[in-house]
Amino acid sequence: MRIGIPHFGNVYIPVKAVACRLGAGANEMIIPPPMTERTLDFGVKYSPQEACLPYKLTLGSLIETCELGADTLIHGRGTGICRLGYYARGQEQMIRDLGYDAHFFTVDVSHHKFRSIVRLLKDLTNGAPWHEVISALFFGISKSFALDKIEKVVQKTRAVEMEKGMANLLYREAIGAIDEAMVRKEVKKVSKEYIDRLNQVPRDPKADPLKVAIIGEIYVVIEPFANMDIEVELGKLGVEVERTMTLSRWIKYNLFLNHLGIREWRKVHKAAKPYLDHSVGGDGWESVGEKVLCARDGYDGIIHLAPFTCMPEIVAQNIMQSTKEDIPVLAVMCDEQQGKQGMLTRLEAFVDLLSFRRKKGMKYGRRI
Amino acid sequence: MIKVGIPRALLYYQYYPMWKTFFERLGAEVVVSPLTNKTILNLGVSRAVADTCLPVKILLGHVISLVGKCDCMFIPTVTSLGRKTYNCSKIIGLPNMTRALIPECPLILDPEIDIEKGRYNLYQNIYKLGRYFTSNPFKIKKAVEEAWESNLAYRSEMSGEEITPIQAIDRICQKNCDPDPSLNSSPLLRIAVIGHPYVLYDEYVSHRLISWLQRMEARVFTPEMVSQGALYAAAKRLVGVPHWAFEADIIGAGGYYLEEAKVDGVINVSVFGCGPDSMMVGFVQHRARELEIPFLPLSLDEHSTEGGLVTRLEAFLDMVKRRERICV
Repeated sequence: MRIGIPHFGNVYIPVKAVACRLGAGANEMIIPPPMTERTLDFGVKYSPQEACLPYKLTLGSLIETCELGADTLIHGRGTGICRLGYYARGQEQMIRDLGYDAHFFTVDVSHHKFRSIVRLLKDLTNGAPWHEVISALFFGISKSFALDKIEKVVQKTRAVEMEKGMANLLYREAIGAIDEAMVRKEVKKVSKEYIDRLNQVPRDPKADPLKVAIIGEIYVVIEPFANMDIEVELGKLGVEVERTMTLSRWIKYNLFLNHLGIREWRKVHKAAKPYLDHSVGGDGWESVGEKVLCARDGYDGIIHLAPFTCMPEIVAQNIMQSTKEDIPVLAVMCDEQQGKQGMLTRLEAFVDLLSFRRKKGMKYGRRI
Repeated sequence: MIKVGIPRALLYYQYYPMWKTFFERLGAEVVVSPLTNKTILNLGVSRAVADTCLPVKILLGHVISLVGKCDCMFIPTVTSLGRKTYNCSKIIGLPNMTRALIPECPLILDPEIDIEKGRYNLYQNIYKLGRYFTSNPFKIKKAVEEAWESNLAYRSEMSGEEITPIQAIDRICQKNCDPDPSLNSSPLLRIAVIGHPYVLYDEYVSHRLISWLQRMEARVFTPEMVSQGALYAAAKRLVGVPHWAFEADIIGAGGYYLEEAKVDGVINVSVFGCGPDSMMVGFVQHRARELEIPFLPLSLDEHSTEGGLVTRLEAFLDMVKRRERICV
C-alpha cells in the first residue's frame, strides 16, 4: 500500500508524522512534489472547465502522486453547501479514467471529523491498537501546532527585518527541522529554538508596519501556491500579515473544543449578525464577520482571497461591500489565469492606499 | 390589503402557484414583477459584484423594479429541502444579499426553509410568516394546506401532461393558452433540455431556446416532466445521494432521459459561474459519453446572443439527424 495525499499548505508534515508513527515505511507514504505550473496544468486539463481552483490544484497534485506510484489516496469529503462535497467523487472518476488504479479514502470534513479521522487511521493500519492510533494522531497534531506557532512569528518578523528574506530563510529551515523531528519533545525543542532565532533577526527600529488581515476561502488562504505567496510579497512591502485561518486552529476547534461546546467562530458570527445571520456554506459567513472584527480591532486593511466563482465568497463579497464598517478591502480572485506581476501591482497600490490613509490619520474617517 | 411583491426570478418558476395561493388565502395581494428585460438586467448588474451569477443579478433587477409597488417583498431562505441536501450558497444568502445591495428595498419576508432542522422549526417559520398577515392560527393552517395542495397539483400537472412551468402557470392564472403545436405535428427528434428552471424558462436569459427547438421540429423534454420519484432514483444511480437539492432534479432528469427515455440528444443549459452545475453536469456528460448519446453543454451569460445560440442548436440538431440516418 502506497498512500498519497494532495498538497494543502503544510498538511503533509503532520500526515507524514502520523504515518511514520503507525509504521509506514519510507516508500509507503508518498508526498507529492511541490506544486508547480505542471500541477496546475494537469488540474486544468482534467477538471470540469468551471470547477474552482482548489479542485484543480488538488486533482493535479493527486495525479502527480499517482505518477509516483500511490495506490491509496486520502481526500476530504463533506456534505456541505459548497463544491467540496463532490471533490472526491469527481476526482476519483477522473483518476480512474486516466488509468490509475487508485483507491480513495475520504475524511469527513463537515460533520463527524474526529470520528472519521480515527476511523480512517484504523482502516489504513488494519486495526492497530487504539492507544497507538491516538498517540500517533497527537504527535502529528503537535507538529502542526509547532509549525503554525513559528509561522505567526515569521509573519511579524518579515515586515520589520533589516535584511529582507532572513525570516523566510529561517522559516524554510524550520519546516525541514520539524519535518525531521521524531518525538514530541524534539518538536518542542526545535520550535523553541527557531522562535528564538527569529526573534534575534535584526529589526528596523523605526519600522511601524501596516497591519493587514488575510481572510477568505481556507484553501487559497493556506496554500501559498494558490495565492502566489501573497504573505511573502506583503512582507517584502513591509506589511505585517495576520491570518486567523490556520490548520492548527481548525484542528483545535473542529476536533476538540467544538465537542465541548466552545464554538470556533462564535465571536465572528456574532459580529456578522447584522448582515448575515446564517451559514452560506464554505467560509462565507466567517469572512463577513471577520471584516467587521478587523475594522473594530484597528487593522489597516483586509485582503479577501477567494477562488474564482466560489459561491460562498461571492455572497460574502456582495454583503461586505455595503457594511457600515469602513476599512479598505482588496478582493483577489484566484484562478489559473492569474499572473504574479499583476498581483504585485495591485498589492503595491493597495499598500500605498493604506499608508496614505494612515498618514492622514483617518483610520475611521470617511470612505475612500 | 397588504401587497406582497414576488420577483419573477429564481424560485418563482418552481413555487409560484404555492406562494400565490398562500398569500391570497391570507388576504394579501400578490404583485409579480414584469418579464425580464434589458432594463431589469442592467439594474441588477449595476448593483452586484461582477462575479455574481446571472440569475442572482436578474433577481436583484426584479427586486428594484418592484420597489414602491409593494409593501413587502417575499424572498425565502431555502436552505435545505431534504435530509443532508442543501441549496447553492447564493440561494441561501439571497435575502441578506438583497438587503445589503438594495437599501431602498421594503421589508423582506424571509422565512427559513430548512428541513435539516426538523419539522417543528419549519412549521414555526411558516407560522411566523403568516402572523404578518393575520393573527388567526387556523386561517394560517388552512392557507398552508391549500398552498401545499396547489403545489402538488402544479407538479403533477407538469409531469402528467408534460408541459413546462410557464404553460402550467398560465393555466393556473386562467389565461387562455394556445395548444402546444409540437404535440400535434409528428416531430422527428426527441431532445431533452436540462437546466435550472430559472434559466430555461426565463425567455430573456435562454433566448426562447425551447420554442426555437420546437420550431426546428424537435420534441422537447424538460426536468419538470419527470415525476419526483423517478428523478431521485436516476440521480442516485448517477452520483449517489445528491447534496444539492435543485441539482438533483437536473442530473436526475439527465440520467432518466439518457437511460430510460432514450432520447436522441441532451442539451444542458447552464449559466456561467454556476457552482453546482460546474460539478454535476460533468457526471451527466460522462454517462452520455458512455451511452454514446449526443450531449451539448451550453453556457449562457449576460453577453450571449440569440444568433449564436440558434446556430449552435441548428448544428447540434443536424448532427443528431445525421447520426439517426446512419444508425438506421
